[in-house]
Amino acid sequence: MTAVLNNSIVQRLLRVPPAYYVFTILLITLWVYRPAMLNPNVLGVFVRQNAPLGVLVLGQLIVMRVKSIDLSGGGIILLVNYFISSGLFPDASLAFFAAIALGTGTAIGLFNGLMIGKRHASAVIVTLAVSIMLVGLVQFLSSGKPPGDVPSFLNDMYDTKLGVVPTPVIFWAFLTLIVAGLLSFTVFGRFVDSVGESAEAAHFSGVPVERTVVLAHTIAGFIAGLAALVQTASIAVGSVRVGLDLPILSVAATILGGVVFGRGEGGVWGPFFGVLSFTFLFVVMTAFGVSDPGKLIAQGAIILLAAIFYGVRLARSR
Amino acid sequence: MPNLVELSHISKSFGGSLAVDHVSLELFGGSVHALMGENGAGKSTLMKVLAGVYQPDEGEIFKNGHKVSFANPREALEFGISTVFQEMTLLPNLTIAENMYLGREPLTAFGSIDYRKMNSDTQAALSELGLSLPPQTLVSGLSIAERQFVEIAHGVKADASIFVLDEPTAALNAADVEVLNKHIRRLRDAGKAIVYISHRMEEIFNICDTVTVLKDGKLVGTRPLSEMTPSSLVAMMVGRELRDLFPSRGQGTNGLLLDVKHFKIGASTKPFSLQVHGGEIVGLAGLEGQGQQKFLRSLIGQFQPFSGTVAIKGKALPLPVNPAWGVRRLRSMGVAFVPEDRKEEGLFLGLPIAHNIAIGLHSARSELAIAKNYRQLIADSIKSLNVRTTGPQAHAGSLSGGNQQKVLLGRYLAEGVDILLVEEPTRGVDVGAKSEIYKLLRDFAAKGGAVIVLSRETVELIGLCDRILVVHGNTVVSEMAGASAAEQDILNAALNAEAVVEQE
Repeated sequence: MTAVLNNSIVQRLLRVPPAYYVFTILLITLWVYRPAMLNPNVLGVFVRQNAPLGVLVLGQLIVMRVKSIDLSGGGIILLVNYFISSGLFPDASLAFFAAIALGTGTAIGLFNGLMIGKRHASAVIVTLAVSIMLVGLVQFLSSGKPPGDVPSFLNDMYDTKLGVVPTPVIFWAFLTLIVAGLLSFTVFGRFVDSVGESAEAAHFSGVPVERTVVLAHTIAGFIAGLAALVQTASIAVGSVRVGLDLPILSVAATILGGVVFGRGEGGVWGPFFGVLSFTFLFVVMTAFGVSDPGKLIAQGAIILLAAIFYGVRLARSR
Repeated sequence: MPNLVELSHISKSFGGSLAVDHVSLELFGGSVHALMGENGAGKSTLMKVLAGVYQPDEGEIFKNGHKVSFANPREALEFGISTVFQEMTLLPNLTIAENMYLGREPLTAFGSIDYRKMNSDTQAALSELGLSLPPQTLVSGLSIAERQFVEIAHGVKADASIFVLDEPTAALNAADVEVLNKHIRRLRDAGKAIVYISHRMEEIFNICDTVTVLKDGKLVGTRPLSEMTPSSLVAMMVGRELRDLFPSRGQGTNGLLLDVKHFKIGASTKPFSLQVHGGEIVGLAGLEGQGQQKFLRSLIGQFQPFSGTVAIKGKALPLPVNPAWGVRRLRSMGVAFVPEDRKEEGLFLGLPIAHNIAIGLHSARSELAIAKNYRQLIADSIKSLNVRTTGPQAHAGSLSGGNQQKVLLGRYLAEGVDILLVEEPTRGVDVGAKSEIYKLLRDFAAKGGAVIVLSRETVELIGLCDRILVVHGNTVVSEMAGASAAEQDILNAALNAEAVVEQE
């Protein structure tokens, strides 16, 4: 076993984010057994469903690269969904809703960042507590009843396409490009790499460690606001339960994409393919007639395998 | 006289590097045997083989002429070999007695732990060393020195005949060192063999009778200390004459760059002042933990000094410094701080050399700015630092200690600052790299920069610095010129200061 792991080719293969393997295997499975499913129109519908998750993952991977985590995305999505669907702002424009969504997300992200970066509170506890409070707030505001309808122009936009590709998917890919650029080309990206590798060394290099963590969370909050818009657009009516599983799925997709706390090897496209893997898993399972509980079990198993896979890698690199 | 233990042609490698290369060593009863060598020379590894922590790849261990081998430290202890490692092995939340009997607690007739016997036996072992600590004391409540004595008592209780002390005095003050030496002499007079690893020359000559020198994992030689002088011993360790190691000293100084006045580290410590000019290297010497590091680190905000003023190039640095911003604050005033622990505080071991060097430049810019690639600067740095690597994309963790240290220094040199505050510039670095690092620091000063160096190695300070300030009891007690300073003077200055402090 040790000899196998020491082999340099094996080493190199182990450095590839697991998402790429999972994605490839699922694609081949589909191609061999259900080639009919590989129709762009069919796939587009499936991929579009995961666009909110894909967007949320972009924020998650930034905070995970600075060794933090953000579980508040579910609360943000729910609150934004409530603002838009409750009829609090009748006849408001898209720009107004976007401003509300992004403002809410950014403010909550900033709060998370200040608690985690400055006060050094546990990221899991802070963001989970924030999410629980937001869920409670929405339930209080809506008295437990689902709010009203989502303005139809949002849903109409969600249904548009550019060629065969649904607009939400293009939006997601475009955002991924922007985040990739942010992390690769800006000084902030260098700070993120540094803090993720060693906060101590970053401090002594003059990197503003606290500010980097605060900023990472603020950006994650902003992105969660965007994810909330996409998620809300995807459903016609408001809900008091929408999107609550997204934060944990975003963590899973990020890990599958090769970003383990502080280690940014999967970059931005690893988690992107992590989300695509979840989509394709769903497609394959549906094609094989597996029920929803079975899909959940398979999804969990793949995340578990990715964790084991990385356990091997980390043990090797120590 | 027959030897108590013989290590015969021991080899041990880790990964690809040979840490100990066919080393033989004999230990005799009634003798204190010094084991010396640079950091990374293989001393600790050799002793860990003797203690059963590591299994040798080659070679044999003989005790009283019989071949033995140990699977773990406890087996070694049963064979009479007791080791006090650099890193403490006592569990802080257990009592002294519980630590001593860990894993082999005596039982009463009813099968419960016999605390009465544990405590009384521990008491006996402690009192044999002249210690009056109650065996029920929690280890967390003991001082570092007391913990070390407890570890020695552990060996005494096990009736060990060989005691290995791996840098026992690194964290002790002078008074505790004296107590420790008393215990060591007592063990020696009882016919035990003692191996003593230390970097402190004066201790070696004070307490040991034989010395074995290792270099790069190989045996250089074993000699009676009566034949050696401190400088011949150092020459044996570094493998060349000392003066070849250091660049020539500075040619005078220019303007005042760092002006520290009435600086009090604590409320009841004596204030001190110090000035550092462009063109000079000033060393901070003294015994371990006497405030050298506290002073340097209070400039970056890691400690809050009691009072004082600091002016950098004529501009006041308001005290206390905010710990979150101290490094950046100093940087903006033209000062770089090079931390001591390059693996934890210094380098990003999993990131490329290029990142490690350029991050200092990145961090002076705004987050939203486009990161420059600094390709030429990084290439020039690697060249001028003489870093031996496959290229700028190699991870810092893949480099040897010396090359890592050069990369760390390179980061701060690349920042283009005027003042360097350097902690332990050559910790765990081989002689060749040491010499290169000294030259880099001297070149920096020669271009008009000011350097403050903090080092535990007095020899290094004497060779490198223009002026040496001896720090003791959180204040500067003496100043001497590097060119005329001797190790003994520095030690005397520190020890006499101690006497003065005690009389007060």
